[in-house]
Amino acid sequence: MSLQLVFDALSLGGIYAIAALGIALIFGVMNLVNFAHGQFIACSVFALILPSADAVATMGLGALPAPLLIAAILAFGAGLAVAAEALVFRPLRNASPVALMVASFALGILLQNILLVAYGGRPKAVSLWPQLGSPVQVLSAQVPLLQLLVIGAVALILAGLALMLKRARVGLEMRAAAEDFDMARMLGVRANGVISGAFALSGALAAVVALVLVTQTGVADVRMGGQIMLVAFIATVVGGMGSLAGAVAAGLALGAASALLQAFLPVEARPFRDAFLYGLVILVLLFRPQGLFASVGAKPRV
Amino acid sequence: MAKLGVFDLAVRYGKLLAVKDVSFAVAEGERLFVSGPNGAGKSSLLGAICGAVRAAHGRVEMDGDILSGRAPEEIARRGLSMVPEGRRIFAGLTVRENLMIGTGQRRDRAAVADDLETVYDAFPILRERAHANAGALSGGQQQMLAISRALMTNPKLMLVDEPSLGLAPKVVDEVYERLCALQALRGLTLVIVEQSSTRAARVGGRMLLMRGGRVVADGDATAFAAGDLLAEAYFGDPS
Amino acid sequence: MSASRTTRHQVRRRMAATTPLLLALLLVAFVVAITAFGDRASARMASETLIRVTLVAGFWIFAGNSGVISFGHAAFACVGAYVSAWTTLAPAMKATLLPGLPAMLADARWHVLPASLVAGLAAAALALVTGAAILRLSGIAASIATFAFLAMVNTIWANWTPVTGGTSSVVGLERYVTPWVGLGWAVATLAAASLYAASASGLALRASREDEVAASASGIDRYRHRLAAYTISAFFCGVGGALMGHFIGVINPDAFYLNLTFLMLAMLVVGGIGSLSGAVVGVLAVSLAVEVLVRMEKGVSLGGLTFALPPGSQEILIAAAMILVLVFRPAGLLAGREITLPARWVTGRGAAND
Repeated sequence: MSLQLVFDALSLGGIYAIAALGIALIFGVMNLVNFAHGQFIACSVFALILPSADAVATMGLGALPAPLLIAAILAFGAGLAVAAEALVFRPLRNASPVALMVASFALGILLQNILLVAYGGRPKAVSLWPQLGSPVQVLSAQVPLLQLLVIGAVALILAGLALMLKRARVGLEMRAAAEDFDMARMLGVRANGVISGAFALSGALAAVVALVLVTQTGVADVRMGGQIMLVAFIATVVGGMGSLAGAVAAGLALGAASALLQAFLPVEARPFRDAFLYGLVILVLLFRPQGLFASVGAKPRV
Repeated sequence: MAKLGVFDLAVRYGKLLAVKDVSFAVAEGERLFVSGPNGAGKSSLLGAICGAVRAAHGRVEMDGDILSGRAPEEIARRGLSMVPEGRRIFAGLTVRENLMIGTGQRRDRAAVADDLETVYDAFPILRERAHANAGALSGGQQQMLAISRALMTNPKLMLVDEPSLGLAPKVVDEVYERLCALQALRGLTLVIVEQSSTRAARVGGRMLLMRGGRVVADGDATAFAAGDLLAEAYFGDPS
Repeated sequence: MSASRTTRHQVRRRMAATTPLLLALLLVAFVVAITAFGDRASARMASETLIRVTLVAGFWIFAGNSGVISFGHAAFACVGAYVSAWTTLAPAMKATLLPGLPAMLADARWHVLPASLVAGLAAAALALVTGAAILRLSGIAASIATFAFLAMVNTIWANWTPVTGGTSSVVGLERYVTPWVGLGWAVATLAAASLYAASASGLALRASREDEVAASASGIDRYRHRLAAYTISAFFCGVGGALMGHFIGVINPDAFYLNLTFLMLAMLVVGGIGSLSGAVVGVLAVSLAVEVLVRMEKGVSLGGLTFALPPGSQEILIAAAMILVLVFRPAGLLAGREITLPARWVTGRGAAND
């Protein structure tokens, strides 16, 4: 049983880490906590199906063969995020972080209601890659194939991102911009490029989460993405606002904690699992408000 | 034609006019010091020229190319580089990464490698600590890094804001020595904000004296130090 | 120095004191107009609007003075609504619907006024306990924590079926909220908000909002003042929640979740988060817009044809309006200014302004 738990923890933690990265990337370059991220995820889910009010969805892009489907949804997520940046956040480039946050919240509500108008409020059944649900024998545990794929994909994505940030020019510019945006500009780094790039990445990561969610649950619901976005926020805060590594580590930890709670909480308490998790987090923050890996420029130095 | 032309430049922060109708020209290869008491508007002037702050009105031109109104990254790409007050190096990046930040648009990899060598020769400590985190460097070393970093963008003109701030006199000597050597090597035009007018006089060059947002004197730095104009600017009647 | 001379400071204090009076007058005029000329539907709209004033003015006590956006105030309304329900519903009904209630609550049958006060106090107590942890965080992180708090309360409320009824609605609340009741509580909230804003704590909080470093250098304990504002603010949101519950007569956890949070934020943003008058103006403006949009969603007949907006378009338009306000007029309609009497009117005769 405990090996099963390890896989549960890893796959859940992996998805939380990916979601947290999506938030931390944008926060790093422009001090924006993107409350619309949950809707980027939801919209990516709905991009798979055709608009209708039916209880069982008809596949749109979702009917494509796997490699094309993945590419299409990733492109959709990235594109949606870049468009949101150009239309909503760029005009607010010099606004306060609070104004940015409230605007992103409004954008989230806007997107959710657009989905509502187009697809109706009832959750829809979506059957995407159902064969991934079948269990695979790994040592002593029966693990759904999807979980293994998720763990593998997350590892690849994290490695790829780390490589890009450390080696690629675009990654270098992002890291510099995250530390001191104005100084980077004075050295010729194009502000718009860096920010659009961060949004594109964040949107693509949201699409990854969307694909995993819809495959796992078999449902498309306009409220999807909200719960995971909240976990992503919490991971970002616990990891220390502005630290990508911190967000990933915290995401993994939250996933592990969640899996453990799910396994060890008595059955009646299971629906409250999330409430427990958030309560735990608030407790942690009581003792370490700056998070586990607070970034260098967190507080103004006097 | 002048390398840099500034015409009727004004900078406003809310109701406060920090720079009032400043005009001057800088010749190619010249070394221009901007000096004056605190609050005279020197940093705001440089900020407006490099695009970091928006000018209320006025025009800035370099080689006939209009710079004013452009984004700071566009100005940097046109060959004007800024070393701001307080160094502002990227502490989380390595020394080498700091140096390479500004080279994104430069196509000629060989020239970039050459420039890196030049900079390492001028400031050997940077070569030594190339892969260390820039945040671990001392104040003087960070200043050298900041100057080198700006140089790596291959500028025609460099603005340096208060290079001596917070540094020991001997270190400042070294920084200025290398800076002047680099200027001579590359035919750079320099505009330096230097609080200490005596220091500026010692290094030598032209000097612009600012007070209350205006230019009150313009001439040779050494000549100023000898005369009374300095004392007048710092302690005299502000009318 | 002449005794009749009024200093500029005194003038400003007097002007500030006129704000709650003017706002109250505005609301009284609003209620009088509606009850004199409107129908039952308009009376309902008036009650709803006044309840929102209580909620948003209460919200403003914290968000407006501290500059920290709390996403969790709808949770306080939730607690308030349910506490009021628990203390006013007939015991027979509670035995059937909410078997898990502790005996003290299950047997309680109070008058609505003490019930609403207790509702506010319960919300305030919750705020004190959770705020103690949440408010240690910096502004943006605290906002995220309040969002987590909202989700936490919603999860607990939706699952704790024996005590809260879970996702099914609790019905049978006594519907005592008329426009005049709403007005009473709205005015009380405005008075409290003004008093707090003018108090030492309110001033200290606004100072630390402007410049954190300078404020702490002056010895201001931002944490304590934030906690005070958070608690007071929660009291009024708790009362507002109770009013909401007793207005509709039916409550469920979803009514106090994202949609309410969004509405409260929209009202604050549109009117301007910097001033109490902004909060009130925001409530009136957005309520009006919502009324119009609701009618349009129901269908408007032009000629022989009916045009109806699809459901959900109300939120789309309000969200779009919010974004536009943030881009073009970030300080809101009133740009952070309060509605006051002009200085001339408060200085009195024989005054010489310095």
